[in-house]
Amino acid sequence: MDNRPAEVAITGIGVVSPFGIGFEALSAGLLECRSRLKPLTLFDSGWEPPPVVAEVAEIGELPEAARRSAFRLSRTDHFAVQAALGAVQAAQSSSDFHEAGGIIATTVAGLSEIDPAVAADPKRYYRDGGFSRVTSYQASHPAEAVGDWLGLHGPCWGVNMACASGGAAIALAAAAVMAGEVPMMLAGGSDALAPYTVSGFHSLQALDSDPCRPFDVNRKGLNLGEGAAVFVLETVEHARKRNAPILAILKGWAMTNDAFHQTAPDEQGRGMAQCMTLALAMARVLPDAVAYVNSHGTGTPLNDVAEVKAYETAFRDRKLPIPVSSTKSFIGHCLGAAGAIEAAITIASMRRAALFPTLSLTDPIETRAVDWLMGAPRLQPVPVGMSVSAGFGGSNACLIFELPEGLAES
Amino acid sequence: MIENQLCITGIGTVSPFGPLQGLIARREIQPRMVNAWPVEGVRRAFLVEPFRPADVVPGLKTRRLDRLSVWCLVAAALAVRDARLNLEALDLEAEERSRIAVVLGTGFGCVELTESFFQGVCTYGYAQADPIIFPESLHNAPSSHVARILGLRGPNITLTHKGMSGEGALIQASALLRTGQADAVIVLAGDTLTRPIYEWLEAASVLSKSCFGATAPPQPFAPERDGFVPGEGVAAVVMESGRRAMARGAPIYAVFRAGFSSSNPEAAASVIRKALSASTPDEVGMVIASANGSRLLDDLERATLRKVFGDSTPIVTPKTVLGEFDGSGILRLVIALSWVKSKLPPLVLLLATSPGGACAAISCELR
Repeated sequence: MDNRPAEVAITGIGVVSPFGIGFEALSAGLLECRSRLKPLTLFDSGWEPPPVVAEVAEIGELPEAARRSAFRLSRTDHFAVQAALGAVQAAQSSSDFHEAGGIIATTVAGLSEIDPAVAADPKRYYRDGGFSRVTSYQASHPAEAVGDWLGLHGPCWGVNMACASGGAAIALAAAAVMAGEVPMMLAGGSDALAPYTVSGFHSLQALDSDPCRPFDVNRKGLNLGEGAAVFVLETVEHARKRNAPILAILKGWAMTNDAFHQTAPDEQGRGMAQCMTLALAMARVLPDAVAYVNSHGTGTPLNDVAEVKAYETAFRDRKLPIPVSSTKSFIGHCLGAAGAIEAAITIASMRRAALFPTLSLTDPIETRAVDWLMGAPRLQPVPVGMSVSAGFGGSNACLIFELPEGLAES
Repeated sequence: MIENQLCITGIGTVSPFGPLQGLIARREIQPRMVNAWPVEGVRRAFLVEPFRPADVVPGLKTRRLDRLSVWCLVAAALAVRDARLNLEALDLEAEERSRIAVVLGTGFGCVELTESFFQGVCTYGYAQADPIIFPESLHNAPSSHVARILGLRGPNITLTHKGMSGEGALIQASALLRTGQADAVIVLAGDTLTRPIYEWLEAASVLSKSCFGATAPPQPFAPERDGFVPGEGVAAVVMESGRRAMARGAPIYAVFRAGFSSSNPEAAASVIRKALSASTPDEVGMVIASANGSRLLDDLERATLRKVFGDSTPIVTPKTVLGEFDGSGILRLVIALSWVKSKLPPLVLLLATSPGGACAAISCELR
């Protein structure tokens, strides 16, 4: 990394989550400690009782929907466009938006729209109305939908690093802004609940049939969720020049790979620990300065143990245990959107001066390194927050945010 | 000074020319008959001949992986060998392992196993989905396997940029190197051709008549062109600084100068000019076009090229021997590097145009 400190301003955040549409709805839901985990109703999973998930109840109409009707939107695309519109509105749009690019992470993309029959007899499937449905299959489609809807002229592409994708999209966009390639970037992640992923995680026996309990010794697995979060990123200088509101500053980021196993994390959490260490170094932030970590915390037996080991390594020089929670206990695991939604939650925690807890956590994994957040939200200033994500294939991503001057002391 | 420039130092490919290390010897090839699925009459495409991966990379285990993962593993291993990168000599905990990144550009990812997953669901229902297939069907499975097999702990990125996926991977790799997030990058791009993709293209009426008979496909840009022939394949290159390459005595095939992409259909010419940076269009010895024989894409690309170069610059169209697929960018670059005439000026431009008018351009200097 070069010697310049990373100073990327977050000037807009748009969210579609199981709490509803908007960053404020997400913040308020977390502060009120409302779990959104319920039995699946969106489609028939094929087994009883239906799995526990977090659904987006109402996706709402997009403005100008009629004019854009030629561009077929999957549920994932719809979330992405809605979140992007919210982000741009919050960022008080400027003419530079047309020069902006978009990086949107997804793992599902249009798979939610495609019927398995496409594999049995594609020709018949296309003839019977499936032809246009598969156009949203490619992982670049949510980014293209955002670019098309907002008239972005910069590069628009999709990123897929499994469940670390959302955080990685923000990191890649930040690097593009810092390099001066584009004046602004829209970045985040979007994924809809789909029979493909629900049955896939079911087949791996990774789902908890009850609301999940991340980091609890009695945890049994994860619950899936859906939604999107999109950020507007620009240099601090650019944001100040156009008098845009700065919600937070992205100070550091890193991406690593475990190089260990396709579905299991490195047992010692080495890849994730290294990811956090690299991000801290880039941010020039000491481990003691981090006030909150929004963890990956899926609730699966292997992930949570490896993640605790990673905290023990990355924060070993810290004087006090590091406050950690998993907000997947509220909204489930949103896969490719998880990293972006949880980055938004980290910023919500900083701006609300509140540490959100892990719901259903009563008997945490024993460690001296972590201050487990349980019960009610803990109200205290959060000047620096960290968001950590991991995914199949050994992907890790870490983002470190700081409150802008003036807000940090409040 | 080449020491401080980004260089392409190793090449591995899996293509209709077979699995190969380094440059690809020139020979003309024709589309092959599709026989991987039942077809009515003749269906042709530029296909990769089946091969045993362990015959190319001894000891490589690829059972139960998607073909894209297999080809990425083979191409990456060949590129690493070609670049004389001795990864086995590195300690498993060595810092250097976290300084080597993997970037993959693909349009469709592991589409073959996605289809297998769906076929299982058709037979047994969603409640009995296959736990082996599901994680292997994820888009990032190929790049993850490359990291796992080669022990690479740096950033591992899979991106989709449709027909610009290969160019996008090269641009992203250069960004990781220039921002100091990696010292070397294994850059991959590719796609596999499967039945649902072929039949979708057929239903969309975008294929050349030569796909359905024995006639040779018309050349891209030719007045009689009538569509494209689908293809498949993967290319991997090692990108790193000239200093690192020279210290190891690695071959330097090309210097990566700059690359940009845009979604703005009006901006294609300015993207090319940005990619050329300080050079003028007159200095370009060759344009590696993405023209594929379709009326729309070829017309768009020709119009862009005329705006920047007039009619004077030599153009090569590697899709004549590779066919059309989203992740073809790096393979097209390798074909051009392999077949270029040494008399040409060394500056080449890799160009990708999408039917919607989006564009990516990369400038490279041949060595």
